[in-house]
Amino acid sequence: MATTAVDHRPGGPPGPSVPRPGAVRPRRRPGSRLRLRNTLVGWSFILPNFVGFALLTLVPVLTLFYISFTSWNVFGVAEWIGLDNFTRMLGDPSYHKALLNTLYYSGLHIPLTLVASLSLALLLNRKLRGVAFFRTVAFFPYITSIVAIAVVWNMLFSPEYGPVNQFLRFLGVENPPGWTTSGDWSMPAVILVGVWREMGYFMLLLLAGLQTVPAELYEAARMDGANAWRRFWNVTLPCLRPTMFFVTVMLTINSLKVFDLILVMTDGGPGQSTLVLSQYIYQKGFEENQFGYASAVAVTLFLICIAVTIVQFLWNRRRDA
Amino acid sequence: MAAVSAPAAPAATGAPPSSAPRPAQRRARRRRGAVRLLGYVVLVAAAAAIMLPFAWMVISSLKENNDVFTVPLEWIPDPVRWSNYVDIWAKSDMVTWVKNTLVLSVTVTALQVTTGSFAAYGFAKMRFPGRNVLFLVYVGTIAVPWQSYMIPQFVMLSDVGLSNTLWAIVALQTFSAFGVFLMKQYYESIPESLSEAARIDGMSEYGIWWRIMLPLSKPAIASLVLLTFVNTWNDYLGPLIYLRDPQLWTIQLGLKTFISQYNAEYALIMAGSVLSVLPVALIFLFGQRYFVQGIATSGVKG
Amino acid sequence: MKRTAPVAIGAAAAIALTLSACGGGGEPEADATGPVTLTLAGWSLSTTPEFQVLADAFHEENPDVTVELKEYDATDYDTQMTADLAAGSAPDLYVLKNLKNFFTYQSGQQLLDVSDVASGLDPATGGLDTYEVDGATYAVPYRQDAWLLYYNKDLFEKAGVDEPDGSWTWDDYDQAAKDLKAGLDGGTYGTYQHVWQSVVQGFALAQTEGADMTSGDFGYLQPFYDRALDLQDAEAQVGFGTATTNELQYQAEFGTQKAAMMPMGSWYVATLLAQQESGDADEFEWGLAPAPQADASTAGTDATPVTFGDPTGIGINPAIDDAKVSAAKEFLAFAAGEGGAEKLAEIGITPALLSDAAVDAFFSIDGVPGDDLSRFAFSTHDVRPENPVDPGAATLSNILNDAHTAIMSGSSSVADGIAEAEKRAASEVG
Repeated sequence: MATTAVDHRPGGPPGPSVPRPGAVRPRRRPGSRLRLRNTLVGWSFILPNFVGFALLTLVPVLTLFYISFTSWNVFGVAEWIGLDNFTRMLGDPSYHKALLNTLYYSGLHIPLTLVASLSLALLLNRKLRGVAFFRTVAFFPYITSIVAIAVVWNMLFSPEYGPVNQFLRFLGVENPPGWTTSGDWSMPAVILVGVWREMGYFMLLLLAGLQTVPAELYEAARMDGANAWRRFWNVTLPCLRPTMFFVTVMLTINSLKVFDLILVMTDGGPGQSTLVLSQYIYQKGFEENQFGYASAVAVTLFLICIAVTIVQFLWNRRRDA
Repeated sequence: MAAVSAPAAPAATGAPPSSAPRPAQRRARRRRGAVRLLGYVVLVAAAAAIMLPFAWMVISSLKENNDVFTVPLEWIPDPVRWSNYVDIWAKSDMVTWVKNTLVLSVTVTALQVTTGSFAAYGFAKMRFPGRNVLFLVYVGTIAVPWQSYMIPQFVMLSDVGLSNTLWAIVALQTFSAFGVFLMKQYYESIPESLSEAARIDGMSEYGIWWRIMLPLSKPAIASLVLLTFVNTWNDYLGPLIYLRDPQLWTIQLGLKTFISQYNAEYALIMAGSVLSVLPVALIFLFGQRYFVQGIATSGVKG
Repeated sequence: MKRTAPVAIGAAAAIALTLSACGGGGEPEADATGPVTLTLAGWSLSTTPEFQVLADAFHEENPDVTVELKEYDATDYDTQMTADLAAGSAPDLYVLKNLKNFFTYQSGQQLLDVSDVASGLDPATGGLDTYEVDGATYAVPYRQDAWLLYYNKDLFEKAGVDEPDGSWTWDDYDQAAKDLKAGLDGGTYGTYQHVWQSVVQGFALAQTEGADMTSGDFGYLQPFYDRALDLQDAEAQVGFGTATTNELQYQAEFGTQKAAMMPMGSWYVATLLAQQESGDADEFEWGLAPAPQADASTAGTDATPVTFGDPTGIGINPAIDDAKVSAAKEFLAFAAGEGGAEKLAEIGITPALLSDAAVDAFFSIDGVPGDDLSRFAFSTHDVRPENPVDPGAATLSNILNDAHTAIMSGSSSVADGIAEAEKRAASEVG
């Protein structure tokens, strides 16, 4: 299981330098004074950030929840209409379409990005000539202007003259897909670009996490004769768990609320084939000024995200225990 | 179970130290060398593919405006027009934009890293009632798309007179839940035994954070710094909503406004985009060296 | 947490109250004499001189009133303006960039009733009645762009095709596009219809008898889409997929002679002149012709061709100081009236009021083609709005845009695309 590799450490280094992934909680002497003290100290750490967070993020978000029960149109009075926005969603085919597309995007984007970024992180965590250069390159898609990204990828995917399809034709594919100009292929195309763009971002986070894996554990596993795959499975992954948790949660949330990439690449088209929830929220709110309804859609997106996060949270805790 | 009996496959990295290699070893080494070379070729090819959009940006920035979008695409600019890089300085207010963006990025990054890692310690290492719920609230707000609550937030900040000031952007970006979450997860992977030992030595929690946690979390801080910096640097929607005065524009807002102003001058726009990416790339190149194995290996050779 | 939650919710409710209260705003100031400073919203000020021109010309006539400009982003103008109006920080006067959002501002009570200004304007002012809701007018138009046909005289001559004579229907136009394609070298197309939905739908709505976007019946689009697809199939026009994936710019397509004709709004005249001057566009002889007609009865120089275009208007923010209202109304009257029209025409803008003086001013600009047909095309037409003023206008426009991309990319047939749009219109606007 997860922590077995730790047990195989050689007699080598004594002392507290061997980590226990998943942080064994400190023993605490019972006593309410101590608990109070802990609470106060705990809050003193959190407070500086929390004050700003509560005022600037939490309050507006709570306002959003309130607005989702109203017919607010940004200017006039916000009239309380109860659950009307939510019942309207049930019968709104465009909302259903956006929801399905969002799940489609996330369902493929999350695993693909995870595999790509983890491979990159493992590959670029070694002593390699020019590793700084390669890391920078992998991160480049994330910092390149999104307009340029849209332009170049759209052009690569261009149905008649695009290099992608010219290559496919060269391989003998007679009717290559229309990519961003085809209702069926636009989503795969966007997912591909999404993976390409974000893999460097998550690679960076995983790279940071990999630094917590002590080299002596690898050494120990190697002495035990574990092959590369075993070492990855029994040493790397367990030590990486807190980071993996962070990465999967962020990746899930980011995928579920994907916005700007789709906006610049296909603007939801052709037809509604790449319309996603975040874009629907923007459309309803800023283009059609139905802020109440847009807020209600945002609340459902929030609920989906939070449900998935809680599942991941509990799963992570179970693995921890 | 990690107890594997099969002999270890030779690792891809590092040759076994041996002063007099036997033929079999030499062959193996040569094979390894070939594999390594092949690996480099693959890496370089992949790097080139990844850089393609950026390459296109650079190429386009050297073209005439109406040559940027053509069918089929021209990869070699003819004629090469370097003057785009001169023109963009003359036609736009790049100096002001870069200055504002730099001020914002540095301030936001510094504040985010300090308050974020401080709060993260509370979440990761302290136990008190309500901690998990509070943490979930933090993470939950990440799940709400910003464009859905930006108007209430804007009204609020306008009421206290923060709109149309750089402070608005600082306020907006500094207290994000992202930094807290990232640092908390990293702290959790730092062995508890370290802080426990310090506690026994009588060190306060603040001391532990400052003397033990911060130094050990360099890779996490590095990635938080990089990501916060990049996000502030590339943020467009925030400045768009909050900053009206051209004196306050950031590089992204400036460039986008520039795009709408000179809506057909794509070569010029690409020149600006290239210039806006370079500082971030340099900072990354510099910052990535903090990603070296750090924790708990102190004094131990791997 | 237990203690903070109610506080946060209380604060949220307080904000919600502020939100709902900020519709009114603006404390009156007593003093009305002395110099007045008005603020006016504009975008891309350094390349869009029209705001400064109006402000300066008005100040010259009324030295007591200074108009200061506040800069907004051109693409995200409405997002920024919405935020500013909601927070009460918007300028005294603001421009309605397109008609689609007029209803939102008007129904959100963000526009002052300016019926008194409107009644003093020339009834010939284009687009004036579009700003009327329930008998009251809430903004006045100062510019009224119209869609025309731009054509490249050099390429017509080279291909040996007859130039437009003002009597063209869409059939004539299609034939000319195909003839041009046949008569020119491989890379040059007969025409370029940009990827915007308005290129097809704007004409369809304006030129079809009884067409009404708000009726939810979009059958009127069918012949226009059939024609657009036919041009594409005949390769007289670059394919939609190629145009979108390569982000083709209409300025470059016509300006660098990649296409011999282009239906486009009158705003492009100023751009084309500027690009020919700067060298971004080639030097060639070009002309303006009336937009091709669906029906021969509206074609010809003795008729009034029907085309489309949204007016651009100015309205007054109700939060303005009472003392400034009269000065603001004077500015509106100036901008939409004779004085403003001439100043705008001088810089290549199509004013809402096409007086003879304004047309003369426009055609005296260096480089504007001087032939009779160009002058006729610019000054004589019946311009219908691209979007109706209706609560569902923005939603319908989004639905129709989805239909446009689905049909033009070949993802669905014309009939299916229209049927889908009608179904959505019924359920989403209904």
